Formats: sequence, C-alpha cells, structure tokens
Amino acid sequence: MSGRKETVLDLAKFVDKGVQVKLTGGRLVTGTLKGYDQLLNLVLDEAVEFLRDPEDPLKTTDQTRRLGLIVCRGTAVMLVSPTDGTDEISNPFVQPDGA
Amino acid sequence: MLPLSLLKSAQGHPMLVELKNGETYNGHLVNCDTWMNIHLREVICTSKDGDRFWRMPECYVRGNTIKYLRVPDEVIDKVQEETKSRSDRRPPGVGRGRGRGGREEGSKPKGVGRGLEDGGGRGAGAARGRGGVGGRAAGNRGGGRGR
Repeated sequence: MSGRKETVLDLAKFVDKGVQVKLTGGRLVTGTLKGYDQLLNLVLDEAVEFLRDPEDPLKTTDQTRRLGLIVCRGTAVMLVSPTDGTDEISNPFVQPDGA
Repeated sequence: MLPLSLLKSAQGHPMLVELKNGETYNGHLVNCDTWMNIHLREVICTSKDGDRFWRMPECYVRGNTIKYLRVPDEVIDKVQEETKSRSDRRPPGVGRGRGRGGREEGSKPKGVGRGLEDGGGRGAGAARGRGGVGGRAAGNRGGGRGR
C-alpha cells in the first residue's frame, strides 16, 4: 500500500525558496518556505498576502499586505507552487483565428 | 475500475483539474496519492472566469479541493490492461489463515473464541480450542495468544 507515503510532492526542494500558497476561502499568500510537516502545515517567512477584490473575494488583486512570519495550517492549504517561473500570461488556449 | 486506479494510470499524461473554487489547472500528472493529492508539471492555471492565465513549472494540489479531473481517453485502455494483469496475478487457492480451530478433535468450536471475551479465563479457553495439544501446552499457549 502507498498509504504511508504522505506527500506526492517533496517540499524539501522548496525550502528557502519562494512559494505561492492558495488557501481555502480564497486567500493567496507568497513567502519563503522555512519549514513544513507531513500534514502540510507550512512556515512561511516574509509572507505577503495578495488582497482581494471586495466585491468578489475569490478574485485576488495586485494590492498586497505584509504578514511577516506565518504558519499556514495544512488543512487550509489548497495549492502550493514555486513562485520561481510562475507568471501571468496571455490566453494560451488560442482559438482558431480564421474568423 | 476505480477512480484512483484510473488516476494512477494517468501518470505522465496531460490532464485538466478543476478545483471547487472554479479555477482550472492544465498540466502533466507527475504523481498522485490515495487522497487524490496531485502533483502537476508544466501547469497553466486559468481563473474561474477564464479571463486570466498563469503558467507555473509545477504545483501541488490538495485532493479535497478538487471538483473533477479530465483525463485523456487513451488512459482508459491502460487502466483496463492493468486491472486485467492484476487479476491474473491473484494466487490460486482459497484464502486460508486468520483464525484457529481448523482441526478440531472432538471438541466443539466454542472454546476457540473464548480468549477474546474474558481475559481472566483465557488460559483455559485457549487450551480447549487446541484440542489434543492442549494438555501439554496449555499454560504458555493460552497466555500468549489469548488477547
């Protein structure tokens, strides 16, 4: 059984690197990963939260607020990705532009 | 076919993952586990409205936030091969083991289970279950296995 291999992603390679974390409820936080455990609780240093659109709390804006050193609770973590190489791009699913 | 077996055989294939919040992630599945946690590579993230896009080299998605996944059609052929080969591998013969009292010699099977119920009388109970052997090994047998 693969039951005891806790994570499919080895977070060790992200330690001391920038990561972007999405949390349930819509918060988006970036910071330097300082530590983690098997429950996906994360320690982020110099964390920055992207503030959200007051009308649509699921949409993040470019406004930020500094949070400093934080612990993200694992159960609230939806998504983890490295900030390195993460960029906003134009629509990559190009429609057939014959028309 | 189990959903997670399909997912497991989809490793290495491109797929689309939609989260409960409506965001979608297109990428190649690297790995997944029994909680449906998913590791994707070369990902394109699309916002809920489909108006903003991000590319990221990889991402880790927690299983319980997933709404659904779209996997390529060819994966279904793989998973059927895999399930077939697995059932071929099943060893012949009935599953034996687990439980004692297979060879009863005259005694009724009721002595077998007694050790479980009452801890105090377990020595005696276990010894009865063993039938003929019991007389000799009653002491340590009953003590060791009567939990």
